[in-house]
Amino acid sequence: MKPRLLAALGLAAAAAPAGAADFEAPVRLKGGEAAIRVEAPGYACPTWADVDGDGKKDLIVGQFAKGKMQVFKNLGGLKFAAGEWLKAEGKVAEVPGVW
Amino acid sequence: MDLDGDGHRDILSGSYSRNEGSMAGLFQVLYGKADGTFKKAAVLTGTDDKPLIIPADDNDQVTDKICTRPFAADWDGDGKLDLVVGNFAGTFYWFKGEGKGKFAPRPEQIKAGAKPLKIAGVHSDPFVTDWDADGDLDLVSGSSDGGVYWAENTAGKGKPPALKPFETLIGPPPNWGKTGGGVKPLREGDVTRPTYATRVWVDDVNGDGKLDLLVGDSVTLVSPAKGLSDEEMITKAGEWQEEFKKAQAAITALQVAEEKEAKKKDAKDKEETKEQKEAREKKEKELRQAYEESNKLYQKRAEFMKEEMTGFVWLYLQK
Repeated sequence: MKPRLLAALGLAAAAAPAGAADFEAPVRLKGGEAAIRVEAPGYACPTWADVDGDGKKDLIVGQFAKGKMQVFKNLGGLKFAAGEWLKAEGKVAEVPGVW
Repeated sequence: MDLDGDGHRDILSGSYSRNEGSMAGLFQVLYGKADGTFKKAAVLTGTDDKPLIIPADDNDQVTDKICTRPFAADWDGDGKLDLVVGNFAGTFYWFKGEGKGKFAPRPEQIKAGAKPLKIAGVHSDPFVTDWDADGDLDLVSGSSDGGVYWAENTAGKGKPPALKPFETLIGPPPNWGKTGGGVKPLREGDVTRPTYATRVWVDDVNGDGKLDLLVGDSVTLVSPAKGLSDEEMITKAGEWQEEFKKAQAAITALQVAEEKEAKKKDAKDKEETKEQKEAREKKEKELRQAYEESNKLYQKRAEFMKEEMTGFVWLYLQK
């Protein structure tokens, strides 16, 4: 048992972050003045794409509840406008099959 | 991504269930229109005109079929967009693209060497990108455990991918809000990095030439109910946990008794006497009541704590 345990520990140490990349401390993004949040039960899913055609990529954040998405317009300098629901055919877009 | 190659950007999503029959997540597409707006979500079908579903052969778990994320990329290097998809179980599949947004009906499982590629935790979240800038497409993924992981492709440009097992880019978080199983407040300001269920997007967000990570997450914020201090909430939560543990233990005891009874009955004859029936029904009623008590008790948490389920978006700039 003991040698196996030691082997397992050795493996865990070897698998520890090997510095595949080095990052700055994470920054929580804001939309307007408030932290970007999604509705309960959560599951924020970001996408980075220019949806308003101004040449700057915007932040689109999907969520579990009703499969809705918020668009945060990129104002430059890592600043974003307050979120607006993404629309499809004039209505707030929903992805079926989540609730 | 322009899934159907019509020059307009589309939105591709996974989903949890088709809401009919057995559980299976369908792929949903909001096709882009010429004016830059989107159509309503439509189910993505394969070249056989049936909805694309991650297959579950007879011995597969239903969790294989719940799509937590699809990603369109030219995975096999034939110039056509394929779909690389994640699922609840934490494994990965890909559907071969036939061009113009058409995909082969049955996917192949993605492997690392001889073994299926699997994320630590569950809820695989594939993002296909050349993370290490060596010319081939790697796979980056979030996970239920709150980390972000990278599977390096060693095949080289234009060759069928050959992935290594996942390496950690961002490890899972410390256990927010938990001290020895107790409850304590967890407010927005206490949370300083992604918590659970990470969803990742990779791009050079600040334009410095290096790939950064946008990470969405899920977290339950905890604060005292109206009128209570933090200390009062912690005390009440402690008392509640003791009560709740007892209620759970009572249920377990009743379940064990019921199983024993059922076995005894099987061993004897199939015919149940009136007394046996009455005894059984009494036990069943007791169990139902115990469940109700436990549920009521669970709801009582709202009397001392407010729980808010939400998710944030985090930016990790690469140094």
